[in-house]
Amino acid sequence: MTSPAHHLSLPIPRWAYAVALLALMVTWLVLQENGIALGHAAESLHEFFHDGRHALGVPCH
Amino acid sequence: MTTYTGVLLRGVGAGGIAGLLAGLFGLVVVEVPIRAALAVEEARPAVESGGHDHGEMFGRGTQMVGGVLGAVIVGLAIGALFATALAGSRRWFVGRPPFTRSVTLGAAVFGAAALLPAVKYPANPPAVGNQDTVDYRTMLYLGVIAAGLVVVYGSSYLASRLTHLAGPVRSTVVALAAIAGVAVILLAFPASPDPIPADMPSEVLWQFRLASLGETAILWLGLGVVFGLLTDPSVRQSTARAQALAA
Ligand SMILES: [Zn+2]
Repeated sequence: MTSPAHHLSLPIPRWAYAVALLALMVTWLVLQENGIALGHAAESLHEFFHDGRHALGVPCH
Repeated sequence: MTTYTGVLLRGVGAGGIAGLLAGLFGLVVVEVPIRAALAVEEARPAVESGGHDHGEMFGRGTQMVGGVLGAVIVGLAIGALFATALAGSRRWFVGRPPFTRSVTLGAAVFGAAALLPAVKYPANPPAVGNQDTVDYRTMLYLGVIAAGLVVVYGSSYLASRLTHLAGPVRSTVVALAAIAGVAVILLAFPASPDPIPADMPSEVLWQFRLASLGETAILWLGLGVVFGLLTDPSVRQSTARAQALAA
């Protein structure tokens, strides 16, 4: 059972780091943003995702 | 399948599916104690103006949609990270079938990023936290997750360095090291700064905490299982081939 088809490890292109950064930013915006990046607009984002934040265990007010 | 792009797209797809399942679980199960907690909050005299008011900017219906959508978006994002981590890993169970690797990584990250913080800083429904401590609590929460991920990474690194040991011995050593790491985290991090308000019924609190843990379990284990299913046709083929040879 050691056929190469079992290996998922692949060369990672450089743009993958941009994708990872984007994914982290999106997660931050949905779960954490409280005004650092968006200022006052963060409040509507926070309120919209409020149930999702609590349900996913993120600390809130 | 043989390119990073193919793996990435499967990760995003698996994350979206797991996020939708988690979000729907949240809609049906987690919303029940959330609603009860909001009722507790509303019953309080509105003295302080510092806290954010629920239901003023958005109605409850919109926030419930936001709850599902939030889980889907987070699922898409962690799916991309998950696929990248698996594709980039040179040590993580490399000889194992993709399905095993995916499910194991999903379970490990669930342990580090959801179960561990749930033990140290249990999730709280609305009406529990103090607005003044939210930054500090967030820091502690993210710190525990980061430390947990270090334990996961360290355990897999240790396992890859101990290949000269017999399987059971190696597993025992790695498990003991991981348990020691988790124990250090649980002891080293300070307790949650906020007491539970007296008006919050403990049934609501624990119903919420269990339901929330269920949602994160669906998200991470679902991601591991669905990504494994999407990346594993080659294993099913080789299994069928092996059975044909044995028959
Ligand atoms: Zn809240």
